[in-house]
Amino acid sequence: MKNHQNTDVAALTQKHKRRTKFRNNIDAWILMLPMVVILYLFVWRPTVLSGIWSFFNMKAYSIAEFCGLDNYIKVISHTQFLPTLWNTVQYVLWSLVIGFLPPLFIAIMINEIVHFKSGFRVLIYIPAVIPGIAAMLMWYFMYYPDQTGLLNMILAKFGIEPFTWLNNPKFTIVGIIIYTTWKGFAGTMLLYYASLQGVSTEVYEAAIIDGAGPFKRLWHVTRPAMEGLLLLNLVRQIISVFQIMEQPLAMTGGGPNGASTSLAYQLYQYGFNSGGKGTGQAMALGVIIFLILIVFTIFYFWLNKKVEDRY
Amino acid sequence: MKKFKSKQTGVLSASDLKTVKGQAIYWTFIAILVVAAICSLLPAVWTVLTAFKDTQEIYSSFSFLPKDMSWDRFVTRITESWGYLQLGESFINTIVLSLGNLAVSIIVCGFGGYVLSKLKPTGTKLIFTLVVWTMMMPSQIRLVPNYISWLHFPFAADIGFGINLLDTYWPMWLGAGANTFSVLLFKNAFDGLSNSYVEAAKLDGCTNYGVFFKIMLPLAMPVIIFESINVLSAAWSEFFTPLLVLDKNVVVPLSIYRLQSDTGIQMNTYFMALVFASIPPFIIFAFFQKQIMGGVNIGGVKG
Repeated sequence: MKNHQNTDVAALTQKHKRRTKFRNNIDAWILMLPMVVILYLFVWRPTVLSGIWSFFNMKAYSIAEFCGLDNYIKVISHTQFLPTLWNTVQYVLWSLVIGFLPPLFIAIMINEIVHFKSGFRVLIYIPAVIPGIAAMLMWYFMYYPDQTGLLNMILAKFGIEPFTWLNNPKFTIVGIIIYTTWKGFAGTMLLYYASLQGVSTEVYEAAIIDGAGPFKRLWHVTRPAMEGLLLLNLVRQIISVFQIMEQPLAMTGGGPNGASTSLAYQLYQYGFNSGGKGTGQAMALGVIIFLILIVFTIFYFWLNKKVEDRY
Repeated sequence: MKKFKSKQTGVLSASDLKTVKGQAIYWTFIAILVVAAICSLLPAVWTVLTAFKDTQEIYSSFSFLPKDMSWDRFVTRITESWGYLQLGESFINTIVLSLGNLAVSIIVCGFGGYVLSKLKPTGTKLIFTLVVWTMMMPSQIRLVPNYISWLHFPFAADIGFGINLLDTYWPMWLGAGANTFSVLLFKNAFDGLSNSYVEAAKLDGCTNYGVFFKIMLPLAMPVIIFESINVLSAAWSEFFTPLLVLDKNVVVPLSIYRLQSDTGIQMNTYFMALVFASIPPFIIFAFFQKQIMGGVNIGGVKG
């Protein structure tokens, strides 16, 4: 700002300057106050309180007495805790296997073609437009275990017996992840697509002169340009899929037999479906999820800084 | 093929496309994209078609297309389903909810992002660090304390005289303001606008508020439109907070979630409900397709 100073500003006395600075501070804080108050009330305060109240006995939604680590012990020693944790990890792993690279490949393909380019972009974006809950219920019926479901209808056309899909404990997580990938695909793809357009054509032309074929160009020009963003998205995907809750809630109810219950869905059950007995456990489980994810979050910020420094 | 000549050099170049190998790669790309497009569309198309089928037909014929595809049939199916579903009130409620979300989000997050980016008063650094850190925190950790504070707003717990916000839209409205992603979206957008506008205006005697309304707001219009589209579409899709909060004043996403436990409903009517619920977001998409598709450039990688 200093190099913009002109004579008017320089002529101000020290006292006057301090007064304008004070006035600017007040104005700025008035503008920012709604945000700070709302974030305090609904983000910062509840986060801290969750940490504190997780050490208290709760009577439904009011606080009773201090109980030490009781809530944590109840959560961790529950017979379903380890299976649920493993389910959550499975959600993450499957989402990486099924959903991580396809958006990148589709973005590269759309970037390369000259026919019907924007048409493909719009068509592939359609799943992102459908409201989440409508799309989940749509897929719930596609996976319907009898022939009214779309997938079994298609199988029947090839003479194959109906499959149980989401009712099958081995498939249920994969099924939910296929839906999640289908729904979130376009958003990620557009992000990659925008970044691909930033790769300069000159670099590709130089690579051609050096005799690089299409696949070499993909590996030596496109890959280095996209690496940072891909890594960031990888960590972000791990963090967000670890918190999966609405999909099991709407599509499977955590079933069959808890096979699709994730930690976050279990937290919802503790908090709102336990007749008020599990509220304390819900907060303890929230803290546990937080502690697991903080590692990834710190890694994300470290990575973000690295990537920003590089470009 | 004339179009190939205009191809920008990328992984494939115009000269590659003259070779057999290049052509093979190119048409494989197109084939994969056609498959991807079909996979994207199929569930939605199937839903619409099933919504127009007869109840009998769904359980007997198992064909993709409805038998009777006449206009009259479409009209009767739509009126029948609308009559059964009674979604009118939900639709009006959702419009109210989404407009409230929009106003709160623009005012709270817009001003917040602006101050963090341009005015930077004492304490900015602390607030900004808190915003960034809470953005990556799992939201489940604050689920129960938030629910308790809705029961006793604005207090964290029962101290005798809080307001009960259940069955009002306030938890969602205030929640729209407590969105750190939006705050950062606005901050990044304002970061992209030059400081010299602000200084020039101030030398001309413009107040801090004047600078915001007369200079920054018009320049920030693209990001405001982008955020508005996001907030409006999200309101038609969010069912979790309404599930916790609303009882009588239901909104569309909650109504169709509740239909799952309605045993009397026919499958075709159910599918029609999914179609009805998807119409408003598709209208928004049809109008603002350009901004939606270009939006990632505004938000940038930092999200």
